Amino acid sequence: MAVSALKRWAGKAPASVFVAIGEGMRERVERLFADPRIERAATPRHAAIFLIAGPMRLEDREDLRRLHDQMPHPRATLLWAAEVGEALGDAEKLNFTLQPADTSRADEAALDRLTRIWAELSDGERPSEPDLLHDEPPNPWQGIGPHGQGGKGMMGGTPYGRPMAMTADDLRDGLALDPYTARFGPFLPMFPPGLLLEMTLQGDVIQSAKVLRPPLPQAARDDASAALLRLARLLDLLGLPVLGHRARLAAAGDRPSSTLETLGRAIRWSGSTLAIRPGLGAVEGQGDLRTRFDDLLAVTGGSSAETRPELPESAHLSSLLPGLEWSEAMLVLNSFDDETLSALAVVKEDEDKDGHDHEGSGYMHHEHHGHGGHQGDGGHDHHAGHGGGA
Amino acid sequence: MDLVTKIIVICAVSALAIFALWRTGAKDATAPQQLPYLGGGTPDTHAWQRYHVRYYSMTLLFIAFEMEMMFMYPWAVVFVEEGGKAMMEMGMFLAILSIGIVYAWREGVFRWQ
Repeated sequence: MAVSALKRWAGKAPASVFVAIGEGMRERVERLFADPRIERAATPRHAAIFLIAGPMRLEDREDLRRLHDQMPHPRATLLWAAEVGEALGDAEKLNFTLQPADTSRADEAALDRLTRIWAELSDGERPSEPDLLHDEPPNPWQGIGPHGQGGKGMMGGTPYGRPMAMTADDLRDGLALDPYTARFGPFLPMFPPGLLLEMTLQGDVIQSAKVLRPPLPQAARDDASAALLRLARLLDLLGLPVLGHRARLAAAGDRPSSTLETLGRAIRWSGSTLAIRPGLGAVEGQGDLRTRFDDLLAVTGGSSAETRPELPESAHLSSLLPGLEWSEAMLVLNSFDDETLSALAVVKEDEDKDGHDHEGSGYMHHEHHGHGGHQGDGGHDHHAGHGGGA
Repeated sequence: MDLVTKIIVICAVSALAIFALWRTGAKDATAPQQLPYLGGGTPDTHAWQRYHVRYYSMTLLFIAFEMEMMFMYPWAVVFVEEGGKAMMEMGMFLAILSIGIVYAWREGVFRWQ
């Protein structure tokens, strides 16, 4: 009785959807989530439906499989105009032809399908999808070593399959504490879709950053709406989601100038410019984050998006991000237009001096075997050895 | 209701709640679900990390100021009766505390990082 009432209430709630955005789909997905029938989950742990929107790169498939398995049960996947081969098992597919005229009809079809999947999931009619990856820790550890920690010595173990961190100097003051190295992205909601960064952090300060995969190209309808969407993302990150939502609505609609003026005034009065440290994220020829924010704000006043001079050769995310706190870095990442960002996020081949490649080989291996995270092979064995041997 | 009944009731309710959690709660997470959420990426190391809480020195400074205020409220009551003597004593107390604040200043507490 009580359980069936809970099921009924759950079915009426908006469907919680985690979305992985592919090529050219960012703007459409952002407009799709303006609908109250679905809500965008910040992480797969809060989602019931995994929406994969748009074409994906071959090397992103392994990450999609990992994200799929991080969702709690019951869960379902919807491939929206996405081609991922057999990587996601036999997930439900919804395709459309990319005709600009019938985008709203295609969006409506996607919304219908998402709400139907959610109703079926909450009713219990639809079976939950099983894990795609094997239930194995990245490194064997159980029952190994004198204390069962997976190795010998203080730092030698791999508890729960991962080595303990060794100490390294902090950029700020040389204090030697534990660095955290991980690959962030390619489907982190505050990242541009497709961008994969290998970053080392101490606390929340970025010590080093390396681009492993560039962001996926996105198609915007026109410059003004792209600028408004960019402004909306920055406002979300600054903790002003209501203003962000208004900017997003303005980007989607036909924008009467009075609405834009009111929006511009609301943003100016919020004092959000003052929350951005002067000189943050400064790039030669592009100004700092504050000037870029002001430029975007000027779009609400009716002026067209300003064209900035060419980027200097040396400008790159690997030199721009280190030293910034996580929140500042996310603002910086979202302040550039798509073209500038892809110029800043060029993959540099020569950086990885020890010849280890976290990408490529690991992924190809799995394409053949059709299983497993790339935790267990390639790059990660190297790191396990690093932890154990020191 | 006497004390023994209360204790029994509290224990019974707690036991019931624990049993309900154990029955309905999440089953053991599989290895792919134990992975921290990084947008699809993987970490190199265990998430068990030591890092410096940078606001730590600032909290010490806060305590120095807060103790000052804590003693000043009752002192304000006594000051009416005692007058100049109470004034002198509070001056000594503040002098000692400000040595701590000057020391913290030298250590760079006011410089946010």
